[in-house]
Amino acid sequence: MKTVLHFAICILTMCILCGCGQSYCWHQSHPSYKKAPTDSIAVTGLDEAFVVTRSSWFAKRLEISKDSIQTFTSHFCSKAFLEQLQKSYKSVTVIPDVAFSHFPEESQKLDTRIFMKGRLPEQGIVVKDSAGNVPAYILIIHEFTLGTDLQRENFYDYALIHNEAPEKKTSQNLSAIVSYTLWDNMKQRPLYSAVNQVDQPNVKLTLNDISKIVASSVQQIKQELTAGVK
Amino acid sequence: MKRFILAILIFVCSAFADNIFFHNHWTLWKDADVLIWSTDKVPALDSKEFCLSLKRNNTGIGEPKCRVFGEWERDSIAVRYSGWLIANMEGNVKAEHLRARHPAMVAKIESIEDKLILFIGERDGKIYAATFDENAAEPVAAGVFEKTGDKIALGDKIAAAFFDGAAKRRLTKEERAKRMTEPDESYKEVPGFQGWAGVAVGYSQAKIPLTPDNWYSSHTESRVRNYRITKDSASLWNFIDDSDPQLALYAGGTWYGFIGAELMYRYAYHKVKTDNKDTVYQELSYWGFHQHEIGINVVLSRTYTHTKWFKTTPFAFVGFQYSFFVEDIGLKDDSKEHSKAYDVRIKFEDSYKGALVGIGSHFVFFNHYGLGLRAGISSRGRNIEEDPSPEAAAEPTTIGSSTIDCFINLGLEYHFSM
Repeated sequence: MKTVLHFAICILTMCILCGCGQSYCWHQSHPSYKKAPTDSIAVTGLDEAFVVTRSSWFAKRLEISKDSIQTFTSHFCSKAFLEQLQKSYKSVTVIPDVAFSHFPEESQKLDTRIFMKGRLPEQGIVVKDSAGNVPAYILIIHEFTLGTDLQRENFYDYALIHNEAPEKKTSQNLSAIVSYTLWDNMKQRPLYSAVNQVDQPNVKLTLNDISKIVASSVQQIKQELTAGVK
Repeated sequence: MKRFILAILIFVCSAFADNIFFHNHWTLWKDADVLIWSTDKVPALDSKEFCLSLKRNNTGIGEPKCRVFGEWERDSIAVRYSGWLIANMEGNVKAEHLRARHPAMVAKIESIEDKLILFIGERDGKIYAATFDENAAEPVAAGVFEKTGDKIALGDKIAAAFFDGAAKRRLTKEERAKRMTEPDESYKEVPGFQGWAGVAVGYSQAKIPLTPDNWYSSHTESRVRNYRITKDSASLWNFIDDSDPQLALYAGGTWYGFIGAELMYRYAYHKVKTDNKDTVYQELSYWGFHQHEIGINVVLSRTYTHTKWFKTTPFAFVGFQYSFFVEDIGLKDDSKEHSKAYDVRIKFEDSYKGALVGIGSHFVFFNHYGLGLRAGISSRGRNIEEDPSPEAAAEPTTIGSSTIDCFINLGLEYHFSM
């Protein structure tokens, strides 16, 4: 009987500890999201979404001047993202960010304290690509943050976003956080919205590592778009 | 009779054909202005007939005035939203999925004050309807209805689906201005009062886990000789079994999800630990004590919501209790006379007063059904009701003046909030 009592007390303590732990939901599907895009997709946000944190760290490792590291990496990531997307889908149409820049910035709620910001097309207005065609699905990349040892809750949990991060000398992982929305262009609604985090052990930073992490984040987006179907 | 059955059949068929997607609570104003907003060239409803439908369906609605909402039918932003709305009304959507996002459209909806808006539109040969009030930029209710040529029948159906319930008097300008300054109830994250009631089974013992055995061995290994002799009498566990199952009933509540109170009753049965070597007990059939305890706890808690249907509320409690021990003794049928020792056997105090402290957690499913797990330590001491006499030292010692045990129990609970 004593063993039973000890066991029960352990269970009780564990339950209480689990109860106090914070868990987040990082994605949201529209109830009418029945089919994920398989062959063709349009993408936007490639011009402005990519941002690098700890730019001097990246500049030093990649031996690029500090002034041009942001421009360089965002171009590089954008190109790598598009290349990987073209490998994953048969036809990829790029819609320039300008097509979205006049829409107001809105927030989408993913969890009690998790909100992601981004520009979404107006209700009742379809977005056309440069050739004048109307793509059925648009993958909107709101923010793509590249850095080291990033935690997505520090960027998207409104209770934590004002916390100052300690200055770090070391880094274990190269991380990428991407917030995106799969937009139903025909009915103008967000089908699937999520914030993903990809970590990759950081050995010696090269451009190849960056293209690898961008590629795996594209693969993760594709997997989640399929898994998010209701 | 035939007509009656036919009427029921028609009603059942129409109930299957029509589908209400959602119907949230809204304020139905008495003598309301009902604005019918449609983008169809020929509206599916006739405003005058709809007013009559409203009055027929809900006698408390007063004298509603219905008219076509021409302002929005000619407004390009509203036209764009209405086109989007009709395309997006599907069976599985909730109100939040139909929210207007354009700031100008949101402002329009918020400025309708105490008018009621009925949106109506045709898609794929069906009539889609939604209602709006000033409180949110999303429909309050939405549904789809079979298209028939009969505008009156359609009006009746819509009136029955969306405009039921008690109607409230419209506010004057002053009342409305005053209400604007009041805090909005819907922003409250925790309900004002959350209550629960439960029944639990558990187990208690004198030995507190993770503490040395020799703290308790003098009590737990003690035996009662000759109906009253023990090594000492500080703890009741010198006389009765200390590890027994228990039953608990409790009910309580927390205010603002933080502080609360709980009443509880606990029952256990403890056998007396008679010394088997003692021949005096040969006459005895059974001897034990029913333990009844009533108490009140102060509860400090916090609720964590994990999913829409599951939340946990860890809590800590501290309280006091009264314990009553009711003797249950019987001699064997064949023993003709009982011993003298039987007459002068131990007597417990009428009641004991003690404290209890512990932690636990409620696990609540679907807002109402819960499991409660708790563990703690409780004590029973002397209940001092009169001043100690100057000859206190000469008085016999109180039996069980320091009786401590720990307990754990698991309960089934029902939760409710106000």
